[in-house]
Parts: sequence; structure tokens; C-alpha cells
Amino acid sequence: MKNILFIFLFVFLWEAGLTAQSIDPALLSIKQRMDSIASFSTNLKLEVDISFINMPVKTARMSYKKGEAIKFSSNDFVLIPKRGLDFSLNGIFEYSFITVDRGMEKRNGQLLKVINIIPTDKRADFSIATLLLDTKNRRVMESEINTKKDGTYILLMHYADQYNALPDRVEVNFEIEKLKIPINFMGKDTDIDRKKLRTAGTKTGKIFLTMSNYQLVFIK
Amino acid sequence: MKSLIRAEILKLLKQGKTYYALGSLFLIEAVILFSAYYQGSNIIDLLLENLKKSFYFEGTLLNGNLLVYLILNTLWFHLPLILMIVVSGTLTAEYKDRTIQTIMLQPVRKWKFMLSKYIVAILFTILVVLLLAVTAFGCSYAIFGKGDLIVYLNTLNFFTAKEAAYRLQWAFVAGGLSMIFFSVASLTIAVIFKEATKTWIVAAFFLIFSNILLKVDFGNNWFNQLFFAKLNDTWQYFFYYEIVWGMIYQNMALLFIYIALFMGIGIYLFHKKDIG
Repeated sequence: MKNILFIFLFVFLWEAGLTAQSIDPALLSIKQRMDSIASFSTNLKLEVDISFINMPVKTARMSYKKGEAIKFSSNDFVLIPKRGLDFSLNGIFEYSFITVDRGMEKRNGQLLKVINIIPTDKRADFSIATLLLDTKNRRVMESEINTKKDGTYILLMHYADQYNALPDRVEVNFEIEKLKIPINFMGKDTDIDRKKLRTAGTKTGKIFLTMSNYQLVFIK
Repeated sequence: MKSLIRAEILKLLKQGKTYYALGSLFLIEAVILFSAYYQGSNIIDLLLENLKKSFYFEGTLLNGNLLVYLILNTLWFHLPLILMIVVSGTLTAEYKDRTIQTIMLQPVRKWKFMLSKYIVAILFTILVVLLLAVTAFGCSYAIFGKGDLIVYLNTLNFFTAKEAAYRLQWAFVAGGLSMIFFSVASLTIAVIFKEATKTWIVAAFFLIFSNILLKVDFGNNWFNQLFFAKLNDTWQYFFYYEIVWGMIYQNMALLFIYIALFMGIGIYLFHKKDIG
């Protein structure tokens, strides 16, 4: 009986110790803060900076409800980046992972904690992510996500003041393939041969997201 | 002169082929509209293919503005063909029916007679382009609604619905000027060949030849900028992200000169030639 109790205790403590070591407490603290948000909505301004795309500044309305996907609405046609708006960090926490502490790094005079997130579940859509955390104000300042299919995303978050949980401005840097279409789009000949399409290397693009008029509801 | 123009308008309105031409044009427009709708989603898919990786899309690009743009792309070949047949027919029919001899027995100056034909050809072309523009916008907006326009001209250009409508209207103006050029050219061809079938064949050849030359790149030299065939896609300049007004003004001024030149040649030849 003693032996069984000893083994049970050993396994429990080992598991608990491993878990505590695997996920950085600063990240858990930020996640906890984000989880305290029941819902929010905000006006979104989108500015696209891609060398081969000309697009006027667009506006949309973004709304989030805990446990649901983010919703967007706009009168215009808008491009919503696949990464950069997951403020709840649900995308990262969807599948199991471990974190590795990479020490501290200085950004704009601010000391930030650097951690690596390595998924331990094959279903995760990223292979590694690097997060720069503002441990004092419990928020993510920068992240680099290496996805399995969609290249690398670098997200830079700017906050209006030190208390805000949600950013007011996000810069999303991503990789994008330049599309080369063999003819001017429907010039006179309307046939476009897909086989002739060639990509001319990978380019980087940016999209600047500016949020305003946040309406936040916290869990009581 | 006024009475000559009035008489020419009357003749144009009285001839049955004018209405056949208008009917076929609207039919073509309707066919283009529906084929453009099916083609449109394919084109949007293609243009946005590499963006799908990084973005979700909110809103639709398959709307009235895209369809008007697709109509414009197709219309600028079919429209001049039919216009050339109708316009040149106003003179070849006079030769065939020998009514031209009756007119010339009247105290009518030959150059005034020919000028009135050119003026009526221009007015008819403007009217047809205007009607097509109204129906293209009307049908497209009524059925498919308004929305942002996407155009690929070396870069992917997005325009807001308001901006798209503004540019499309200007494109009709620029395209209309090209149509006037082809109408005037067909009348000049009719002066030279007199006979309807020959005139139509030569006019069709002139149109096809112009379209082929439009696609040929002669390099960055004066010929590429001044040659008449190269001026007929001026309407596309309205879909560069920044409108190149300087180039548009230059091309339109050149087209005016070519129109005047073809009219001048037609009037001169008609004046010199014997009626009969």
C-alpha cells in the first residue's frame, strides 16, 4: 500500500513539476488576463502595405465573444489577416505545447521576457512561436509565429497606455508570393491560363491594424 | 447644313439595319453581362489566390462594378464592328440605291453633304455608347449591386465602389472616343470603296488589324505612343491606381487629330471623286 501511495505521489509531483516547467508562468498570467474578457468590439482600420497591391484604407467592425470566433463586418471589401487578431491567445493554447525561457530582451527601452512556444501536438498549425512578453503589464508585445503552411508572421503590438489589455495598433508582417499573371487582367483576351502562372519569389507584406472605440466587457 | 444633318438623321432612323444593330448590341451586352458573371468568380479566385494564404476576405468583389468593367473589356471589339457596318451603310446604301445622284442634282455642296454624314455618324456613335453605358450600369447595379472593384494592371488595384463608378464612367468617355474614330474611319472606307460588301470587309479588317497592333509592343518610342491603334486602350489608363491624366489627355487629343484627319481625307476624296 505504501509503495502504491509512493508511486502515485511521485507521478503526481513529477507531472505537476513538468507542467510548471513547461508553460511559462508569465504566459499563463497573460492568458488568464485575456480570459477575463467576456467580449469586446472595436472599430478597425486596415492599411495594406504590399508592393504589388494598391488598396485604399479600409474600415470594419470587429467583435469577439468568449468561446466564439472573431466576427467582422464591413460595407467594403476588406482583407483580414489570418494572424494578428487573436488577442485571446486561443490559437496558441488550442493544442498542448511547452515553452522555453530565452531570457530578457530590450525593445524601445523596455525589458521584455522572451519565450519560445513549441507545440507538442501535431495538430498545431505552427511549428514554433517566439513571444516577447511585458510581464509587468501582463501583455504580449511582439510575436513571431512560424506556421506550417503559411510562412512566418511577425506581429508588433502597440498599446495606448500601460494599463490596456488590448492593443490599439498591430503591425502584421507576413510572407506573400508575388503573383505574375501572363496577360493584363482581361485586357482584350479574357482567357487566363492557370498553368502559365508563375510566382516570382516570396515578398514580405505588412498590414497595419488600428483599433478604436473599444467596448470591453469583463467576466464578473 | 442643318437641314442636311436633319435629313441624314432621318435616313439613319428610317433604315431598318439601325434597329437590327441596336438590338444586336443590347443582346450582346446581355450575353456579356451573364457570361461575365460566371467568368467573374473565376477571375477573382485567380487574382486573390496568393492572398488566401494570409488573409480572410470580408465582402464580395463579384458585383456590378466588376461586371461593367468586364463588359467594357469585351464591348470595345463588338461595338465598333456593328457601328462600322451601320455607319458605312449610310453611304454605301446611297451608292447602291443611286439616291446620291439625286441629292447631287440638288444645290448641295459635296463637302457639306459628306460632313453632315460624318456629324451624324459621330452623334449616332455617342448615342449608342451612352445607351450602352446606361444599360450596363443600370442592369449590373440592379442585378448584382455595387461594391469594390478589383483590377489587375501589373499590380492588383482595389477601388472603392464610388471611385470605381467614377473611373468606369470616364472609361466609357475614353472608349466612346475610340468608337467615334472607328465610325469615322468606316465612313472614309465607304467613300473609297463605295460598295457595301467590300467596305464591310475592309472595315472589319481595319478593326481586326488595329486590335492586333494594339497588342504588339513596338518598344518605348514615338511610334508606340502616336500610332492610332495604340490609342484605343486609353480607357484602361483609368484603372491604374493613380490616374495618368497626362497620358489620357495626350491620347485623346491624338484621337481627335486622327478623327479630323480621317474626316478630312474622306471629304477630300468624296469631293474629288465622280458620283456614279
